[in-house]
Amino acid sequence: MSFTRRTAQLLHEDHQGTIEVIEALDQLIAKARKKAPDVSDAAVNKTLTKASVAIEDEISNHFAFEENELFTRLEEMGDVGIGEHLRSEHAALLPLGKTVAEGARAALQGGFTDQTWPPFRNAAAELIERMFSHIQKEEMALLPALEDLLDPETDMQLSSAYEAAHL
Amino acid sequence: MSSAFLGGARDRLLPVSIPFRFFVSAALFHLAAWGVLLLEADQLGGFTGGPGPILAATHLATLGVFAMTAIGASYQLLPVVTRRPLARDWPTRLSFWLLSPGICLLAWGMDRSSPGAMQTGAALVCSGLTVFAMLTADNLRRAGSVAVVAAHGWAALLALVGLAVLGMLLVWDFQTGFLDDHAGLAAIHMVLASYGFMGLLVAGFSLVLVPMFALSRSLPQRPGWAQLVLAGVSLASFACGRWTGNTAFNWLALLAGFGAAGTYLWLMRAAMARRMRKRLGLSFVLIRASWGLLGISLILGAALLADLPIPNAPALFGFLLLAGWLSTFLMGILQRIMPFLASMHASGKSGLPPPPSDLTPQTPLKIHAFCHFGALACCAAGIIMETTALIRLGAVFGCVGALAFVGFALIVLLRLRAFQQGS
Repeated sequence: MSFTRRTAQLLHEDHQGTIEVIEALDQLIAKARKKAPDVSDAAVNKTLTKASVAIEDEISNHFAFEENELFTRLEEMGDVGIGEHLRSEHAALLPLGKTVAEGARAALQGGFTDQTWPPFRNAAAELIERMFSHIQKEEMALLPALEDLLDPETDMQLSSAYEAAHL
Repeated sequence: MSSAFLGGARDRLLPVSIPFRFFVSAALFHLAAWGVLLLEADQLGGFTGGPGPILAATHLATLGVFAMTAIGASYQLLPVVTRRPLARDWPTRLSFWLLSPGICLLAWGMDRSSPGAMQTGAALVCSGLTVFAMLTADNLRRAGSVAVVAAHGWAALLALVGLAVLGMLLVWDFQTGFLDDHAGLAAIHMVLASYGFMGLLVAGFSLVLVPMFALSRSLPQRPGWAQLVLAGVSLASFACGRWTGNTAFNWLALLAGFGAAGTYLWLMRAAMARRMRKRLGLSFVLIRASWGLLGISLILGAALLADLPIPNAPALFGFLLLAGWLSTFLMGILQRIMPFLASMHASGKSGLPPPPSDLTPQTPLKIHAFCHFGALACCAAGIIMETTALIRLGAVFGCVGALAFVGFALIVLLRLRAFQQGS
């Protein structure tokens, strides 16, 4: 997708960044399956490092921006449903993101064991599926709607504020 | 909360019962189509048209499976894509209640060569399609964005009008014989239905759905317009060729058709190459296979035009076009969008929406995919070798696969209901 509104474009770029991390995590799980991966492996280490930082930070900032700045505007226009649904997905994703990030950090310090790998794998698998589905919905239904929702001035204000928060 | 979704809640997300009644019906008609073929397998190889069980099975597939899927998907997805809600919900239900009995009656009439049943069935089907066309036209008229997708929608509606008018004439001609060239008009009717109405909807929605499911970067707009223009030239040339008897038009139609399909396949290849989601699952095995079958159907069309000595070429062409390309593509899309849509209407006990995998039974889908490809291979080989036993074996595969797909659809619904009751 490409968008004329800068805010939509920034959120889209966020999605791309998140997908990159999630996809790497998906590959890690698919490759390791039931056997705990070796965290000294460079590729595993890189993926866990990304997961330990990027997921939690990205989704918390991204979700907060959407909930505080976009859903509220949608709701003011009488468009309540999208905010409700995507908020409920955020509520499912945030604790999962936190669990995966904490699990990744712990693994980077002490490696995975037969006890720690299964719960990490399960949480990551659920996060991956929910996140892909969530991003698909936002890309198809939320970001295009911003083209109608935001006038150029508001778009500039919001995108500048969002970019500043990311620095 | 569950009814509220996709940028307009009550506006843009229809009640789950609306798209799902079309999807479940499509799964049941799919089973019926294979069932008729199983019972009348000996008639497929030499089929070149005319009333009888093969024509009935063909319309169970084209109207029952393809049109039902396309209409259910259009009702739900067009408002999301165009960012304009449907004006009203009730006409969508009306179209379903006109189409479902109409398709049954039409197919029964074709099977029994009963003009009265065919005419009544055709009238009901055309009424249902008219309601669909009016709703879709109203939505497309208000769509200010996604011009290339909307243009595909308009072209598909134009093809729908043409095929419906021809369909009515053909049905009445079975009784009165007033048409000079029944076979020629039947060929135009078939091409407008498959490559026209369905093909243009597939090509248009693919520009949105395939990149969305694959999380691909945006596709360029110009090839999308090129595929539309080429498809339009192809369909118009084919109609002119059959109408005037000038074979030059037929070759032009074929060339433009190859151009349109080539552009479409190039776009889909670009979407796959740029995708960020690497593991796309079983649905995309079907979708990718359907792209290959689209190419094979056109090559067979060229062989037919060149009068190459392929045994039972008309039946093989029709089979690979309908059961090959369109059925394979739509089953791939259906198994993807049914759990996706269901997850939007479901909330667990925690109030959190379930992931689509919680609503997706994998085993029926694996059985369906295996049997679907087995059915295609056996029936195609049976048509070429003129071996009824092979066609019958293929139809058995088709029935088992279709039954598995019905199971899949019902399990998705049951799981959705369980989530809704739990919330």
